Amino acid sequence: MRKSLSPRSFTSLQRLLSVCALLFFCGAFSLVEAAGGPTILSDASSTRAIAFEAVTYRREPFPLTMPVQFSADTRNRIVLFAMNLDLLAGEGANALTADAEDSTHRHYTFTVENVTPFPGYEWMSQVTLRLSDDIGDVGDVLLRINLHGMSSNRVRVGIGHTGGGPSDDAGAVTTPAPFPAPQPTPVPTPNPYTNPAFATTNDSVRFLEQATWGPTFSDLAHVRSIGYSAYLSEQFNAPVTNYPTQDLYPTDSTVGCPSGTAPANCTRDRYSMYPLQISFFQRALTGQDQLRQRVSFALHKILVVSGRDLNNMPSWVGPYLQTLDRDAFGNFRQILEDVTLNPGMGNYLDMLGNTRVNPNENYAREIMQLFSVGVDQLNPDGTPKLDAQGNRIPTYDQTTITNFARVFTGWVLAPQKKWPVDGTTNVLNYQDPMVLSSNTNTYDTASKTLLNGVVAPAIVTGQNATVYKTNELKIALDNIFNHPNVGPYISRELIKQLVTSNPSPAYVQRVAATFNDNGQGVRGDMKAVIAAILIDPEARGDAKTDPNYGRLREPVQLVTNMLRTFNASSDGNISNTGTRFGLLLDMDQDLFNPPTVFSYFPADYSVPGTNSLFGPEFGILSTSDAFRRANFVNALLLANNGNGFPVAIPDRPTGTQLNYSSYQALAGNPQQLVDSLDAAMMHGTTSPSMKASIVQAVTNIASSNAALRTQTAIYLIATSSQYQVER
Amino acid sequence: MAQSRRSFLRQTGCALGATAILSSIEKLGMIGALAQQSSNPDNVAADYKALVCIFLFGGNDGNNMIVPLDSEFNAYTSVRGVLALPQSSLVPINPISGRQFGMHPNLSPEVANAAQSKGLLDVWNQQKLAVLCNVGTLVQPVTRAQYQSGAGHPYQLFSHSDQQTQQQSSISNGPAQTGWGGRISDITGGLNGTVPLPMSVSVAGSNLFATGKNTRLLAISPAPTALNSVLVLTTSGGASADQTARRNTLQQLLGFDTSSFLVKASSDTMAQALQTSASLATDPTVGTFPATSLGNQLKQVAKLIKLRDALGMKRQIFFCSMSSFDTHTNQTGSNPTSPASGGTNSGNQGSLLAQLSQAMKAFYDEMVLQGISNQVTTFTLSDFSRTFAPSGSAVGTVGSDHAWGNHSLIMGGSVRGGTFYGTFPTLALGGPDDTDTRGRWIPTTSVDQYAATLATWYGLAASDLPTVFPYLGRFASSNLGFLG
Repeated sequence: MRKSLSPRSFTSLQRLLSVCALLFFCGAFSLVEAAGGPTILSDASSTRAIAFEAVTYRREPFPLTMPVQFSADTRNRIVLFAMNLDLLAGEGANALTADAEDSTHRHYTFTVENVTPFPGYEWMSQVTLRLSDDIGDVGDVLLRINLHGMSSNRVRVGIGHTGGGPSDDAGAVTTPAPFPAPQPTPVPTPNPYTNPAFATTNDSVRFLEQATWGPTFSDLAHVRSIGYSAYLSEQFNAPVTNYPTQDLYPTDSTVGCPSGTAPANCTRDRYSMYPLQISFFQRALTGQDQLRQRVSFALHKILVVSGRDLNNMPSWVGPYLQTLDRDAFGNFRQILEDVTLNPGMGNYLDMLGNTRVNPNENYAREIMQLFSVGVDQLNPDGTPKLDAQGNRIPTYDQTTITNFARVFTGWVLAPQKKWPVDGTTNVLNYQDPMVLSSNTNTYDTASKTLLNGVVAPAIVTGQNATVYKTNELKIALDNIFNHPNVGPYISRELIKQLVTSNPSPAYVQRVAATFNDNGQGVRGDMKAVIAAILIDPEARGDAKTDPNYGRLREPVQLVTNMLRTFNASSDGNISNTGTRFGLLLDMDQDLFNPPTVFSYFPADYSVPGTNSLFGPEFGILSTSDAFRRANFVNALLLANNGNGFPVAIPDRPTGTQLNYSSYQALAGNPQQLVDSLDAAMMHGTTSPSMKASIVQAVTNIASSNAALRTQTAIYLIATSSQYQVER
Repeated sequence: MAQSRRSFLRQTGCALGATAILSSIEKLGMIGALAQQSSNPDNVAADYKALVCIFLFGGNDGNNMIVPLDSEFNAYTSVRGVLALPQSSLVPINPISGRQFGMHPNLSPEVANAAQSKGLLDVWNQQKLAVLCNVGTLVQPVTRAQYQSGAGHPYQLFSHSDQQTQQQSSISNGPAQTGWGGRISDITGGLNGTVPLPMSVSVAGSNLFATGKNTRLLAISPAPTALNSVLVLTTSGGASADQTARRNTLQQLLGFDTSSFLVKASSDTMAQALQTSASLATDPTVGTFPATSLGNQLKQVAKLIKLRDALGMKRQIFFCSMSSFDTHTNQTGSNPTSPASGGTNSGNQGSLLAQLSQAMKAFYDEMVLQGISNQVTTFTLSDFSRTFAPSGSAVGTVGSDHAWGNHSLIMGGSVRGGTFYGTFPTLALGGPDDTDTRGRWIPTTSVDQYAATLATWYGLAASDLPTVFPYLGRFASSNLGFLG
């Protein structure tokens, strides 16, 4: 049987936790119990792995190709033995990753092809790895496996020949099989993180980084007292703090802001994203519906509309953002429909006004490529299906797009409104959903072949054309929504937005299964999907050691995390000079003005210098941006004599100031100061060397200058890659 | 001694904690190796050469950039309808290769409107500008019949993200992790010797094109940010000694915790910023550039090129870009030939082409002024061209959809210009070059061939071509001859 957190060990953990709470002796100990990494077995006398060739059972050194050819792929496979593989029910090889490092410190990704309990020794599993195509005869490598965000020890294996290789990890120990053999833990248990006790540890900081715009003192105390599941329930039921509904203004800004009679800041408020950006940050800082805001923003980055292509009018973009807020905890089918009929989207991707003659393919393509199914057919765990030649299989082709383009015809803006509201100027209606044109000649009413060969029938004689098109749209959206790709595709994209850029396929599969069925036979239930994402063992845990784990904080998140962690007072304008949102623009994230439908950064951006790891947010981390992130922190903490962003009427009525007085009170003891910042910002994972450097830097500042000591400590953590990458 | 599974686990967990930290310190020394190429001093180039890529994001409609003025013009107008440019507005260019063509008026706005800054006609007439016809992503040469039978399709044809990737990677059968500019840098890095900047520089953000296996590009802001302001770490608060100490600690932290690949990637970027900032300490003066997005990017490139001797750079690859070429609607506007014709509403593509041509011309003039126009070659790439048949029907909403083979511009003193390369497609819906019936031209020249020609001029050895362009061998020629 697969090993897992057993009822026995879980009960003992609960006992341990309660004892800990009494003794003030918590944290690391319980952590390791809850989420240690796997252990690869080694020789009794060295870190050399117990390893065999998968087919011949020969020991190392392992040739690059298999001595016996079984298929076209002759790359060699090796078998390792591991314990403490706490696999969940249904998990297999797709929960594991593996990598090797050679003597030149080059890293290789080995594919985990199989994991299975060893017959008769069920406490131990055998793990089959495929050597990567790019590895040569490099000699010894240090090899590790990763599960649920936790890495194993690293063991030594000879590839091509033995000898050479990197030196052992400092502090590495031999990991021979224990004797006598431990008892196998018999039954895979349900996910332990639904137990409220888990929220009392440092993991609660991580949880709030994923579920909110940043952990505040009060939210931390609250989640620690009620646990994750109860917190999620509260958030699912919290009232929406929505974006303000603006009047619709004329398209021509010289009419909407007539010279001489326009109110102050007219162009700023009516023809720029400014009011929405301000509202975004104000809500992010104080709104109680934090989870809804996070999910809504994630949806904005998946189903993109950009203000730059909507005449820069907040009254046109606002209804789209309100739609995402409203639907974030609803059903994904509803999201697809409401976004499709949103007039802002209609304008952005050209479904608005699309007609039977030469229908425009833009919306047809992007609703499939980006909003729902993606370009490749997917397995239930989100990995691409491959054909017999090993090639990916397209989800749709140009003909499918042409057919969908013909579905998306005939839709126009709802009847115009007046400006001012009781006035006489007609203005375009970007508030109400699009409607079918009164000109039925614009409708394509022939039959269409949709995904998987589903046919939307042609209109029948006598059928009302508007009823036909309304119904046809439902058929088309149902067709997309029910495609098996949607679960894994949307689940993976949401995980990447909220938790980690490179989720294991097993994690994607668990969330996708929830997308496919929330347990009550409902597909697309966003609440269930969000809970599955945030309560998953790969999301949870006090510290993640998997080298692939984490995601770069995007600029808006860096801003909100800093402001919320340090209890800031702010008017919401992220600037320190006259420029509106200048510091945010400098960091290359122009809020609500993403450059293309591929969002602020490409979801499939591959991080240079890694083995093809995804890191979407790295797409906007240029060399200049690296400094500009640090310069933002500098402006917030140290410039302006430490007083934050100064007041500047009209854009910054109050400015922005952090409040770190509780930390400053500890500045007399640099170690204590850094420890408490470590808990708040790094959830207790700051490495000893990093901590020592910062403590030294703080100690070197005169103790009389408590403010500078505190600012320096916060600056050094906030600008560090260890903080910039949320893990 | 019996050991329970859990106590075993605890021990290992503790050991691993210490392990991760110490191994990261061990790797501290690696960070310095990133920005610069290691070099063999014997290979350092004697001359200077640069490639400047201008990527037109969104898919530039080549069908309206270069238009036949001979017998095919009627076919052009009848298919394109409201997208068709008036014959009189086109700027005639008669390539040496025969036939008669016209450029989009905004590729040389000064022809119709002397008040406009010059575009590219002068450069064409000096034979320093060439057009490469119907080039695109290909996995192999392919005919219409083969295409329609399902053979020879690049991965995710017609998709923006995938086609952008393939244009930049020259790998058309799937996703890629390196760009061809980056792979050229990987191999030719030694030509630079030991220099303070990486070979690849982007003034348009991170991108695949200039990213190699070992090459990490330098991505800096365009003008108007002064060159000595693109990499400035602002330090406030405390005495100057405090600020220096803080910066030193920031730098020290980059060496820790690099066992996390994403932490290391972030730290490498910061390390590169710190290393490079000192070398960009001046802001050289260059000529006048248009105050447009591309104008400002090329201005920054011109400044970096002006510093080439001071920095010791012998080979450089630059990346610039423009966006918004995805003209599904309002491609031509009410006045498609403005600003050349003096109007304002030229639609989405017209204004972009004016920006492109005026910025390229300013850059060419600056290179002449610096005396190195023969050593700098500028070229365009784009996702794809657009359907010859328009999409949409109502005035103001007409545009075009995603297509395939496209025309590219190549400019520089070493370009054998004033003529066309490749094969101009037959502009017929459902014709021999069409994938279907909307005018998505099947490329007759591959990106691989286009790129290999540029790479060969740049100094990549013939023996290295297959490494950088693994599928080049599938095509007839590895040198299209447009560079002397």
